[in-house]
Amino acid sequence: MKTFLKGFAVGTLILFLLALLFLETGWLDIRADVIPSPRISRFLDIATHASVRRHAAELQSPLPESSDSEEVLIAGGKLYLNDCVGCHGEPTKPSKFGATFYPPVPQLAQTPTRYSEAQIVWIARHGVRRSGMGAEGTSYSDPDYWRLAAFIRRLTQLPPHVLEAAKAPPVSSTGSSQVQSDEKK
Amino acid sequence: MKNFLIGFATPFVFFPLVVVAYFALGMADTPGDVKPPAWETAIMQPAIRAAVKRNAANLSAPSGATEDSVIAGGKLYVMGCMGCHGEPGKPFAEDHANYPPVPQLPHVGTKYSEPEIYWIIKHGVRLTAMSAYGPFYTEDQLWSLAAFIHRIDELTPTELQSIQPEKH
Repeated sequence: MKTFLKGFAVGTLILFLLALLFLETGWLDIRADVIPSPRISRFLDIATHASVRRHAAELQSPLPESSDSEEVLIAGGKLYLNDCVGCHGEPTKPSKFGATFYPPVPQLAQTPTRYSEAQIVWIARHGVRRSGMGAEGTSYSDPDYWRLAAFIRRLTQLPPHVLEAAKAPPVSSTGSSQVQSDEKK
Repeated sequence: MKNFLIGFATPFVFFPLVVVAYFALGMADTPGDVKPPAWETAIMQPAIRAAVKRNAANLSAPSGATEDSVIAGGKLYVMGCMGCHGEPGKPFAEDHANYPPVPQLPHVGTKYSEPEIYWIIKHGVRLTAMSAYGPFYTEDQLWSLAAFIHRIDELTPTELQSIQPEKH
């Protein structure tokens, strides 16, 4: 047992030194435009989901209306079309810009989210570490976060005219247009 | 001796499993609106720097950057980078929205060489908010951006003036 522990201690030391050596001599592939193996990508995905499930507070929506109400969905849709499409994709077209991040930005209209509304609110407000998702913090009021989440949650199965109603009148282009101007290139 | 070898091999299985379990069970925090701990920055920042250095070692800027290309790069910066990386001539505001935080280039400058900056813009950096801009800029644009960013913390007032977007 004593020799086992000695071996364990030496092995641990060597393992950490090797890991440090690997990192600090620049062998880590850091390119966002080269996708790592599907296994690693899936693992990161699982880890993020597990973390959100564990940490996100299961809050109740402060909105008086139900999340299914058209009014809520249209209001949320306007926010989405204004601020999120640059990376997360338009309801009918995935974003090329979003694909240039690693991890790639989820294209919400193509891949329905598995998160609950409360979890979506939590993610949008606090962001996701080691990803392109920044914390939106106080950019939105609390009710607006919930409108946005209601819309995103139903993005792949919206009632027919919600999208048109959200699009009209024309969305102003004065919002956070940094990303959108890149998208236009 | 046999016990020693078994003991030696165990950590190579044990610690990777601990790391995988830690992440797969969702123990790792997700919120991006906090500052990364000092130990993480101390390990990962040099790791990224070393990886950039290794990958960009064989690149060299096409020719000496001219004043024109620096200004052209500055205009691109104002259009495409400023939103996250900070506006030249404005007071410093630390990034609290991203983890790791986005470097505020006009204030901290950069230690990277022009070819290294070119490489980062083109390929992006994994597990950060820096995406790959290779598909969106031409080679010339990438190099002029690199030339500008290399000098971003020592711009002359004239340069600062001439990169401003034209008012319509």
